[in-house]
Amino acid sequence: MSISVMTDLVVDPNIRGWVFLPIIVITFLVGIFRHYVSILLSSQKKVEIQQLQDSQIILRSRILRENAKYIPRSSFNMRRQFFNNQETGYLTQKREHTAPTMMTDPNMMTDMLKGNITNVIPMFIIGGWINWMFSGFITTKVPFPLTLRFKPMLQRGIELSHLDASWVSSASWYFLNVFGLRSIYALVLGENNAADQSKQMQDQMSGAAMAMPPDPKVAFKAEWEALEIVDHQWILQDIDNSLVDQ
Amino acid sequence: MSGSKAKSEKSSTPTVAYSEIAVRNNATVVEYCRTSMAALSGCTAGLLGLTGLHGAAFYIFTVFVLWFMINLKAGSQFNKFFMSRKALLTNGFFGQLFTYILCWTFLYGMVHVY
Repeated sequence: MSISVMTDLVVDPNIRGWVFLPIIVITFLVGIFRHYVSILLSSQKKVEIQQLQDSQIILRSRILRENAKYIPRSSFNMRRQFFNNQETGYLTQKREHTAPTMMTDPNMMTDMLKGNITNVIPMFIIGGWINWMFSGFITTKVPFPLTLRFKPMLQRGIELSHLDASWVSSASWYFLNVFGLRSIYALVLGENNAADQSKQMQDQMSGAAMAMPPDPKVAFKAEWEALEIVDHQWILQDIDNSLVDQ
Repeated sequence: MSGSKAKSEKSSTPTVAYSEIAVRNNATVVEYCRTSMAALSGCTAGLLGLTGLHGAAFYIFTVFVLWFMINLKAGSQFNKFFMSRKALLTNGFFGQLFTYILCWTFLYGMVHVY
């Protein structure tokens, strides 16, 4: 397979040095930069003791549910009573409804602002800058054939209807980098880095262990239900016999 | 994979207890391996100038190679470190494909297009 067959279009080597390579370097370095800026800006969140207690209780309840099989039934019931007792259980307690208002809490506003500064603004600014600076170049060719439906995705900024779909424009090359470099960031910066925006979204959705939902009532109700339906099976029933056998 | 410990309390009964932290740690380490492998194999494919299905086949080949190497490293104590061989092979297959394609496209562009 000779090269002349593969390349039907001759691209100026200067584009490689001044467009193709800079885009990947810029994208990568911006990710690194964002990681450190967000570390710099991140403030220790002030947690109220009640909230912390709530989240730890829910964590404990979850651990109890998952590892219920390692403790005897009576011990399990005792622990469950602590959480789920009708009158005195922690999860069934009545608590006055205190909805933290997002807009009146200045801390929350600053956090949101910081999140915007480190995530959204670089995305727009760098994306826009790259679009403006490197617009209209054909940068590279993907080494596999693509159908015409990929043309708007890969050839943003170039309106050539006869161009083969596997050529990539500079703007699209930037976006390819933004998405493709994610796992490289995980490799370079460690698992929970701030360069990766999508992961943060996921964390917010799934609710990390420390993050407490604004209304504990709902979380308590769900946890209460889950704990209530646990079917206790003690798997260490004959542990003493098997130990003696050994 | 060195330095990661998965504790499994094996008894004569079929119940096996897995240490949650160790399992997660192992998964993270394997994920690192996978990312590195995808990046390296992507670069290799780009340098070799593979196109089309050859590149895809090469990716699948490297996934199998990595699987084989992890198996080799874990050896006979496989169950001590991982829960299933199949999950080890298939997890993150498509997630790493993007890294592979990026590296592949990058070096292919650098070497063969211009």
